[in-house]
Amino acid sequence: MVNPPFTRHTTEETMNESRTDTAPLVSTAAAEVVDAVMRIEDVDVYYGDFLAVKDVDLQFARHEITALIGPSGCGKSTVMRCLNRMNDLIPSARVEGKVYFNDRNIYDPDVDPVEVRRRVGMVFQRPNPFPKSIYENVAWGARINGFKGKRGEMDDLVERALTQAALWDEVKDKLHESGYSLSGGQQQRLCIARALAPDPEVLLMDEPASALDPIATLRIEELMLTLKEQYTIIIVTHNMQQAGRVSDRTAFFSVDVDERGQRTGKLVEFDFTDKLFTSPSEKETEDYITGRFG
Amino acid sequence: MSVDAPPRRDERFPTDVEYRDLLDRRTRRARVFQVVSLLALTTGVVALATLIYTIVNDSFGWVAVVNAREPEEVVEDLGFDPAEVSLADIPYDDLVGLLQATVPTGVGRRLEREQRFYEDRLVFEATATWDALCASEGAPLGCTAPPRDHANLLALIQERVIVPDVIASYELVPSLLDPDGFTRRLEEGFAAGRFPDVDIDRVRIEWRNWFNPTFLRTPASSIPEIAGIRTAVLGSAWLVLITIGFAVPVGVGAAIYLVEYAKPSRLNSFIQTNIYNLAGVPSIVYGMLGLAILVRALEPVTSGAIFTAGPAPSDNGRTILSAGITLGLLTLPVVIISAQEALTAVPNSLRNAALGLGATRWQMVRSHVLPVAMPGILTGSILAVARAIGETAPLILVGAASFITVDPTGPFSKFTALPIQIFQWTSYPQEEFRNIAAAASLALLILLLLLNAGAVILRNRYIRKARW
Repeated sequence: MVNPPFTRHTTEETMNESRTDTAPLVSTAAAEVVDAVMRIEDVDVYYGDFLAVKDVDLQFARHEITALIGPSGCGKSTVMRCLNRMNDLIPSARVEGKVYFNDRNIYDPDVDPVEVRRRVGMVFQRPNPFPKSIYENVAWGARINGFKGKRGEMDDLVERALTQAALWDEVKDKLHESGYSLSGGQQQRLCIARALAPDPEVLLMDEPASALDPIATLRIEELMLTLKEQYTIIIVTHNMQQAGRVSDRTAFFSVDVDERGQRTGKLVEFDFTDKLFTSPSEKETEDYITGRFG
Repeated sequence: MSVDAPPRRDERFPTDVEYRDLLDRRTRRARVFQVVSLLALTTGVVALATLIYTIVNDSFGWVAVVNAREPEEVVEDLGFDPAEVSLADIPYDDLVGLLQATVPTGVGRRLEREQRFYEDRLVFEATATWDALCASEGAPLGCTAPPRDHANLLALIQERVIVPDVIASYELVPSLLDPDGFTRRLEEGFAAGRFPDVDIDRVRIEWRNWFNPTFLRTPASSIPEIAGIRTAVLGSAWLVLITIGFAVPVGVGAAIYLVEYAKPSRLNSFIQTNIYNLAGVPSIVYGMLGLAILVRALEPVTSGAIFTAGPAPSDNGRTILSAGITLGLLTLPVVIISAQEALTAVPNSLRNAALGLGATRWQMVRSHVLPVAMPGILTGSILAVARAIGETAPLILVGAASFITVDPTGPFSKFTALPIQIFQWTSYPQEEFRNIAAAASLALLILLLLLNAGAVILRNRYIRKARW
């Protein structure tokens, strides 16, 4: 069977589809996701022989912000990197299980990870602009993905992406200066604009504010709340307050240590953020969010 | 905390007095190592300075020349006034006549076979012999090459009629410090009978720049006074082009594969180790390789035979192409290693950013990794190529011509190169060859400096392009 290419999900489709087939999750009875853009089913991630994360089931709701939290080494970043197949870039990494993006398993052998990454954009922990002009930073992703606009249309696209990333007013007069001429917070917003330019559906943000000062962090958080109108956002964060402020749902990860001292991440609890922070179902979650561990 | 509480002290650390002692000792030791490293640098600088001194010292200075016939006499004999006309102004026909009157017919014939004097007539050969010669299998160059020009003929006159002979030379530094020393030494030499065949009145003392424009423009000769390095410089220039053209694309391509595509596997680490080993293989071994593979096995390619329907541009594989590829192979491991290092130095965050946008690996490499790595790749490659251009051993094996006066015209030409020329000149007994070998070394150094300057310029261009 030839799989159709990924298509942008429309509201119409959502209404016609039933989601009763989704597997039950860990402690998530109350938080069942009706319209999931991405679903992780029974995923184990190995680095060589070492099991890094085991048995994760998660669903990411459309136009919501889902936060992945947990102590260091619990595999939350690893899980996020399954969502756009960035784990493929680590030679020893192996992902078992299924990850669906609009009902298509992105780990099917006939799926090209390049296509997945174009639809599922990513913002990294440290701002990493290309050593090129601000304009080129944003335009490149669209161009390599076959954007066939004329010169003026590309300008519009760059302006739109920079506006969405709340950076346009600050850089509109210096579009041809280096991306590195900006401050750290601006660089990170440039990276967000860059990720938006190829027109993704999902935006993965791997601790996007951890290298920024509190004011820049606040701007990024405000930005995320605006962006979720158009995109589905999944964010990994160390900062529980941040998860509380921005996310609709939160997944809490923790670590199991076996008798040989190997640390394996696991999903403990997934629920609406309000619920998870106020009345968690699991003892481990409660210990973590009240600061007794982690 | 109360004021008079005794300061807490960890007994395992030294007391203040002991500490100051220790600090003094540490400072002294630091100073010793600073001096040692400065000495190391000085050694290097002194060695380089000595090298330059030797070369420059031999390239300039006073010489004592004895001509077989003085140019003025020759001019007068031809019926011109030596006060007004110099040898260089004499018309072509008169010079041919002079040559005809001076050299034996056998020599004249040989010269004519190398290159004719006139397009439409022959000077030394008989027409019938010439036509038969040109129709035969190994037709001489003169049959096809254009006739000699005035400068060429003038060089012949120098070589065959004037025959300047340097009987003694005096180097640059003594020439400057003790200008009269040379005459004194010459007089002593004559008094001691060291120049039995020379008439002291015919000795001319001239200032000689061995490294001069004529030296660069004229081909090699068996007479050092009129020998030049034209053929060798052109040969070396061709070698640079072919070496770069072969080693840089192949080396950078291999490095890109190893750094960006290859997954860690036993085969890949085996390849990696062997690239390091290859970088240490002596150049003579590459010469053997070039001889066996390029000159012999691939002769149809390296002689250009498969590229033309007619006769091959060269009758064997000992061509510029063979030598250039041999030097390219010699350079390849170093280019791969330096390109790999430049690529590895590109931060991974850049790769993640590009791939995360849905770029293919090649788009990532082409647009982001290569531009950032380019300065390092260029520096490493050009230094490696510069190293190879000075190589002599592989060229000797691959068959650089020991004596050639015809300019190389393409990759399938016979050739010689600067290091070969220098090597040969230093092995001749006459003292003047030492001077021109030094001048040729100077030319080689300048060629290398130009290459390195080119690398620096290119590198700066790329550094400006990447906008960190």
